[in-house]
Amino acid sequence: MNYKLDFTPVLDGLPSLLTACLGTLFLSLCGMALAIVIGIGGVVLRDSRIKQLRWLVMAFVELIRNTPFLVQIYFIYFALPLLGVRLDPTPTAIIALGINGGAYAIEIIRGGVQSISKGQIEAGLALGLHKAQVFRLIVLRPALRAIFPSLTSQFVLLTLTTSVASAISAYELTSVAQRIESDSFRSFEVYGTVTLFYLVISWLMMRFFGLISGRYFSYPVK
Amino acid sequence: MGANEFLFLLIGLKWTIALSVIGFVGGGVFGLGVALARTSGIPLLERVTSGYIAIFQGTPLLMQLFVVYYGLALIGLKLDSWVAVSIGFTLHASAYLGEIWRGSIEAVPKGQTEAAKALSLNYVSRMKDVILPQAIRISLPATIGFLVQLIKGTSLAAIVGFTELARAGNIISNQIFQPLLVFGIVGALYFVMCWPLSLVGARLERQFAAATR
Amino acid sequence: MTSSNTGLPNRRQVLLAGAVGLAAPSLLLRPALAVTPAEIKAKGKLVVGIQGDNPPWGFVTSAGKQDGLDADIAALFGQELGVPVEFVPLEVNNRIPALTTGRVDVLFATMAMLPERAKVVQFSKPYVANTIVLIGPKSAVIKTNEDMAKFSIGVAKGAAQDTQVTKNAPASTTIRRYDGDAPSIQALVSGQVQALGGNIFYIQRIEQARPGEFENKLEFQNLYNGACTRQGEKEINAAINAFIDKIRANGELQKIYDKWMKVPVHKFPDSLEGISFTAS
Repeated sequence: MNYKLDFTPVLDGLPSLLTACLGTLFLSLCGMALAIVIGIGGVVLRDSRIKQLRWLVMAFVELIRNTPFLVQIYFIYFALPLLGVRLDPTPTAIIALGINGGAYAIEIIRGGVQSISKGQIEAGLALGLHKAQVFRLIVLRPALRAIFPSLTSQFVLLTLTTSVASAISAYELTSVAQRIESDSFRSFEVYGTVTLFYLVISWLMMRFFGLISGRYFSYPVK
Repeated sequence: MGANEFLFLLIGLKWTIALSVIGFVGGGVFGLGVALARTSGIPLLERVTSGYIAIFQGTPLLMQLFVVYYGLALIGLKLDSWVAVSIGFTLHASAYLGEIWRGSIEAVPKGQTEAAKALSLNYVSRMKDVILPQAIRISLPATIGFLVQLIKGTSLAAIVGFTELARAGNIISNQIFQPLLVFGIVGALYFVMCWPLSLVGARLERQFAAATR
Repeated sequence: MTSSNTGLPNRRQVLLAGAVGLAAPSLLLRPALAVTPAEIKAKGKLVVGIQGDNPPWGFVTSAGKQDGLDADIAALFGQELGVPVEFVPLEVNNRIPALTTGRVDVLFATMAMLPERAKVVQFSKPYVANTIVLIGPKSAVIKTNEDMAKFSIGVAKGAAQDTQVTKNAPASTTIRRYDGDAPSIQALVSGQVQALGGNIFYIQRIEQARPGEFENKLEFQNLYNGACTRQGEKEINAAINAFIDKIRANGELQKIYDKWMKVPVHKFPDSLEGISFTAS
């Protein structure tokens, strides 16, 4: 066996790989947006007065967090059509990512809300703040600040998870990489390069969240 | 779905469990090394291990498996495919566990290290007898959380072509064409493995939170 | 994974990681020895790359046993060498990398003999014939390649049907690529795609799931499958060619054909454009 590394197919495919990064970003951002919506909605329902609703949210969280993403996305893509729900690969991927991220977001956001003690809210009202001000300054900002690091890592993880969407032929970086690989048979070179792309994407994402965090949450605590 | 098909899923399940155990144990051993190097106070070691952690936490597990799977063969190691996949999971787990345990080691109050040094304990016994026992306790919820993550992650070995539970499900669903049933059962099998662990992890976390309040 | 990921790497770590990642393979790469029949005998087993989900070529039965036409031929070749065969089931897309990176000794894995593949692997003489087809709904009109543009078409990533559909379908066609034969058939059966690129046996499997709805619409190419070894490995290539000649002559191949293909052994060409059967 005389294997020589050859990066020519990777270089030839560079434009399509770079464009595919946009596909990955698109899936990630849509997935995150959906995850936040599910997360907030879930937290509201989780503390609802209706027992069945609370139970439903808990069951959803446990079910999603304890089964693999690959099985979830296969289920939505291959099994749901039998029930009359047929979605294209990209919407399927976004929904699967949103549901998966949402289950984690529910727990994260709930933790943040619980970290605000009643006493702080009462103190705010006693100081003569409006209800809206109390919510914005005493509930929302500290809660967001508390959950921001967890949410960031969860979202980076969600971005990395988009690679699994290649299994249902969604358009993103991994599926384009596999395309180049099956044309050139240069798996190590292609996957090695694409791994670096992902590293850069997740680093940019962390920087981005870090900037937001620095901009909005850098007020002193004590 | 007949008994044969279910049996086939169970064979897949066996591999899922095997991969998880190997990944967790191997990852634990190397992860401890990573955590110790990361907190060693030696700049070079700390920098190398933090780069190692950054690679594995900043790239998709699927890519890691692909690169390790083909990369190992390229450097002249002809291994059975289950060994190659296991090495992939071991490296992945060692980075994540290393980072979790680094956090736990650093969470042990500094005074403990200083006290141990004042008692002129050497590094090994300082770690073994003072720091690590406390760090392990602190790290338990996150460690169990990662184990769940790892069990679920083994499903990606399917894409490399390894017949574990998820791929077995795919094959069976294509033999009997009842994807709803097959993926339902596959999901349930994963759930049965992961949920008890998640519950234990959550309970430990609550206990720990209560103890430190 | 909420508590494990809070140590965000800084830019220097990412750069370092990248540099290590790029440098590592070039430092560690070293050529391994070519595999020869003698070595395989010494090693005591023949490691065969095969398909796991593509009946009747290569598939894993519900009892977990590797079976199929390719499995029978590989087992016979193992007998010829006097060693047991160890099967490594591969995804369509992983077959060639698994061979070139040394994961397996030889591929008996529905490897259609294609010139672009012959640039990276060494084909043996052909041992079986296959036809790549497009399968579509009976109600649909698909008579020419141009007609494909109106449909979404599924294929297994990197398979011969992927090459054929990609080459023949108009550029505007929606082609969806899945990880292997099983998921691609699953996609047709669950209605995620309207048509499917496949081989002559696909239709039997689809009939089981959705009887009476689909038929073969287009025939792209008659192909021959050969065994693959790494380029430059002369001894093993010669051994396989001698083996194929032998089973063609003594009727063993016909027996395997009777079992799986149910037709007489095809007449194989002595040469194929752009594909050499013998290692140089």
